[in-house]
Amino acid sequence: MKGNDSIILACRDVAVRYGDVVALDDVSISFQRGLIHAVVGQNGAGKTTFARVVSGLVRPQKGSVEIGGTRLAGGSVNDARQAGVELVHQSFALPPSFTVAEAMQFGASGGRLYTRGGLERRWQAHLDALDVRVSAQARIRTLTVEQQQAVEIARALVSDARLLILDEPTAVLSPEGASKLFERVRRLKERGVTVLLILHKIREVLAVADTVSVLRGGRLVDGPLSTSGMDGDRLASMIIGSSARALDGEDRAALTGAAVPHGETHAAAADRQPVARLRGVNTRPDEDGTALQAVDLTVGRGEIVGIAGVEGNGQRALVRAICGLAEVGAGSVELDGADVSRATLAERREAGLRVIPFERNAEGLSLTSPLWENWSAGRLLARPLLSAISPAGLRRDCKAALDAWDVRYAHVGQPAGSLSGGNAQKVILSREMDEAGRLVIAAQPTRGLDIGATAFVWEALRKARGRGCGVIFVSSDLDEIFDLADRVVVMLSGRIVAEFRPPFDLERVGAAMTGARA
Amino acid sequence: MSDSLAAIVRAILFIVLALAMCGVIFEFAGYSAPQMFQSIVDGAFLRRNALEHALRWALPLFITATGIVISFRAGYFNIGAQGQFYVGAICAAFVAEWLRGYPAAMVIPLCFAAGMTGGALWALWPGLLRLRSGADEVITTLMGNFLAGLLLVYVTAGPLKDPSGSGQQASSRPLEAAYRISASSGVSPTIIGIAALVGIAMWWLVNRTAFGVLSGLSGRNPTMVRWQGASTWKIGLASFLVSGALAGLAGTIELMGPNGRLAGGFLPAHGFTAVLIALVAGLSITGAAIVAFFFGGLASAALYLPVMAGLPSAAIDIINAAIALFITARSRFIDRVTKAWRRPWTTS
Repeated sequence: MKGNDSIILACRDVAVRYGDVVALDDVSISFQRGLIHAVVGQNGAGKTTFARVVSGLVRPQKGSVEIGGTRLAGGSVNDARQAGVELVHQSFALPPSFTVAEAMQFGASGGRLYTRGGLERRWQAHLDALDVRVSAQARIRTLTVEQQQAVEIARALVSDARLLILDEPTAVLSPEGASKLFERVRRLKERGVTVLLILHKIREVLAVADTVSVLRGGRLVDGPLSTSGMDGDRLASMIIGSSARALDGEDRAALTGAAVPHGETHAAAADRQPVARLRGVNTRPDEDGTALQAVDLTVGRGEIVGIAGVEGNGQRALVRAICGLAEVGAGSVELDGADVSRATLAERREAGLRVIPFERNAEGLSLTSPLWENWSAGRLLARPLLSAISPAGLRRDCKAALDAWDVRYAHVGQPAGSLSGGNAQKVILSREMDEAGRLVIAAQPTRGLDIGATAFVWEALRKARGRGCGVIFVSSDLDEIFDLADRVVVMLSGRIVAEFRPPFDLERVGAAMTGARA
Repeated sequence: MSDSLAAIVRAILFIVLALAMCGVIFEFAGYSAPQMFQSIVDGAFLRRNALEHALRWALPLFITATGIVISFRAGYFNIGAQGQFYVGAICAAFVAEWLRGYPAAMVIPLCFAAGMTGGALWALWPGLLRLRSGADEVITTLMGNFLAGLLLVYVTAGPLKDPSGSGQQASSRPLEAAYRISASSGVSPTIIGIAALVGIAMWWLVNRTAFGVLSGLSGRNPTMVRWQGASTWKIGLASFLVSGALAGLAGTIELMGPNGRLAGGFLPAHGFTAVLIALVAGLSITGAAIVAFFFGGLASAALYLPVMAGLPSAAIDIINAAIALFITARSRFIDRVTKAWRRPWTTS
């Protein structure tokens, strides 16, 4: 690589290891100035680590990174910033109680005195110039996710950034928000900023990027390749690799975001017996997110109902209300025809409720406890507290169950925290997906999992449906919802605002998510 | 299995380190460290009757420590064993005084019942405050210790005051001889039997009941247990009550065994030493039995330090404190290591 002016970023033999895990394995790649570049790969492929290396957050054990011809020492955010690199994180880092102007000033250079008015004028001008339609006086917490992201990007561009890295910027956006973001990115390109997008949907790559590079298992599969004339299916093969089991067309499309699945109807919906019915459920507002308002929802036997919506629109309250973990102010919850509005979660579980909670590591497992204890918790709760148990017997049962679910582990006494995300989720599945289940709630069950584990979870949910279970499937990824669900409802501000049946239409569901006319 | 073995080895290592540090400190303070260690070993384990003396301290400490194991495992840092120990002894003393003259076969069981109830009640209010309104039990149980200490002073100088007593320290009238469960040596078949019974029952509770597994899980991650449908409230309250009752039981044993009367401010370090035992034992009941015996030996050596090495008997408190320092520093350190080790898995 000669001192070429057209190259903005050049990496040579970059390797990063976390303990035994190889996050990046001798990655050599260079990106041209003035284009929109995409880096894709499944979860755990090393995308985020790559973004962190380039922005100086992670020092590679090996290799070099050059920005515009100058070599980066590595491991210093300031050096990277000096060289013109800015990273916008996956999860936003703006202080919620700050005004936009304060948040913009926070971390910007210059320690001189300023007035509130001066600050607001200065940053309002900057926001207007970037076409971000947000008042500099507004508090961060009052902004929508799209606006917060726009402010983050504007903040990253304060210091004449030449290379802007966005780490999975579409993960939190509705489809409409994503296309707005892409327009914003194109305008940045016109202003001469090189943009590096970390993405995991092929559709989005093809929609916005000029080049694409694929990472898999920490290695660079290929890239940068021009996206003009690029075939989505070829890209999907590069992302998945040959190791993953054969996937059928719709699953494969949903996993890589190559095309939007339309879903299919499995049985006549009308004559399904309901296993769960919510009538006019309101929850009391608490610190755990948006409360429910007058939610009606019916789930039939052998039906997967997808709950779509931008995160934080009451999905947590819905799951907690069905579990009896949220205070229900009005309305009723029925399981299998019986009113369980006043029942505890233990009683609801007795009646056949099974839950895969949102937070695998906090709500699903006790990471420092042995696997067999994690696995047997539900079973033990069905008995009186002082009943005698046989730990040897429980270990045996646990081992049998984990083996049946193909969990990779050394022994049942090892702490749950020592498993990878996919294996940890399988432990939860082995606990929750038993024959006696009547209604399964799967809340973001594939978040952070790689393709193999994701397909495994889908298969488990389909099997549950096949047994006649009702399934409530909450996800912020519309592709997988469309692929799996027999029916989709959309949540917005704690209400169910729309309901769709196959074939699903991305535009219309997306519009409902943001409150535009459905 | 190898995990618990490693834990024991580590605990022993840290005790040795703590002792070495104390040796250096005493050496600099002008005492002879070798002589100190010699007298500790002699006083604790080699001297004639040393075993009996070590047991005298170890048995009540073990009983209190098992209770602490129960509450710590459930994630509640009840460090109010000292107060629960005092209130247990006070309640038992009241019953013994009120029923003076009644047959021992009736009074002794009632005293035990009263002592355990008293200890449990002294753990109940911090438990309720914690579970109902989230008041930090470390603060409330610690304050409870001071309140119970003052209550003891009041009781021994007031309602239960021995009118014939002329010493500087107020105390109650001696118990009727028939109500004593041991001589002042503090070791008797009754006390050994009670300790063994408690040990077996608590071992069973921790290792062979649903409560044991669920309380361990909820101590490590209450959120997960709640999502499984458990009432963490029930588990929490039960652990507070059990640990309080056992501290109260130890208080009753001290009253009706070796002490024979209630004295203002007696055994002021009992509860804290028991906390230390539970921590050194890695919150295992079997471990607590071994560690309690070790600390019993240290306590019995305390009486011989001034004679043999010219050290103040408070030297034992310094050694205890040093061990506490090393043990708590250890768990923080281990936490950090395990977290660093978990991180790559959980964020991938």
